[in-house]
Amino acid sequence: MKINDALPLEYRTEENSNKIFGFWLFLGAEIVLFSTLFAVYLTLWNRTGSGPTGKDIFEINGVIWETVLLLTSSFTCGLGIHAMRLGLKKPMMIFFGITLLMGLGFLGIEITEFVNYVHEGATLQTSAFLSSLFVLLGTHGLHVTMGFLWGAGILIQIKRQGFTDETTNKSFIFSLYWHFLDVVWIFIFSFVYLKGLM
Amino acid sequence: MARLFPIRHVMGYIFSLVLSLVALGVIYWDLTFTAGIVILIICAAIQASLQLVLFMHIGETSSKKQLYLNIAYAVFVGLVTVFGTLFTMIWGVR
Repeated sequence: MKINDALPLEYRTEENSNKIFGFWLFLGAEIVLFSTLFAVYLTLWNRTGSGPTGKDIFEINGVIWETVLLLTSSFTCGLGIHAMRLGLKKPMMIFFGITLLMGLGFLGIEITEFVNYVHEGATLQTSAFLSSLFVLLGTHGLHVTMGFLWGAGILIQIKRQGFTDETTNKSFIFSLYWHFLDVVWIFIFSFVYLKGLM
Repeated sequence: MARLFPIRHVMGYIFSLVLSLVALGVIYWDLTFTAGIVILIICAAIQASLQLVLFMHIGETSSKKQLYLNIAYAVFVGLVTVFGTLFTMIWGVR
């Protein structure tokens, strides 16, 4: 096995740097996936039928909190990787823990928002606008949920095994995923909520 | 303690909050639709690049050329999907 000591631990074996490279390819496919969902939403956003419009149902306060939580969690996730590269296990676990808690907070707000929509009579079946909205937001929310479970699993492994080739590699790949979800959220924040309320 | 908070990350975080605030401005300022959309596109593009370069460390290894190419291609396909759809479904219908 070829080992390159000049790189951070998570890259050092060839297999691990290939895993990181492969994950970037996956993120490329994710960009395309979310683009198709945005294309559908941007086509149908004013096909509200007899249902409510975006202006009627969007609540900016919740959306601002969601944005702050995800931006901050992306920051703490980056700090976690930084601490990992310094070899500091405890700070890394704290930063990742904060990241995951904020992810959970984000999900809490999003679920409350969905419940409110449904109470206001805005369901998946109400109009083309709402179908495309729920599918776009739901796909992102599902990714965050998966990220939470994935990150929690990695935290347990870090606690048990410490920093090894494998656990650092997994943590770094998780950080790529988490930052990517933040990027997707920025686009949802801008082109769904802000554009809808403009 | 200070070494846990590298200045690049802190600055990147503050900058991303500022960009979100500017984007938020479009719903409070009295702007035309086009001006608003332009602000949103610029802020989102800077914000995405910030995450990519600063937090995701896209340029830190020798495979950075391939990584940039991969992301550029994905973004290209995404933009063609979005604007192609808008062109055929909305703007083309007159």
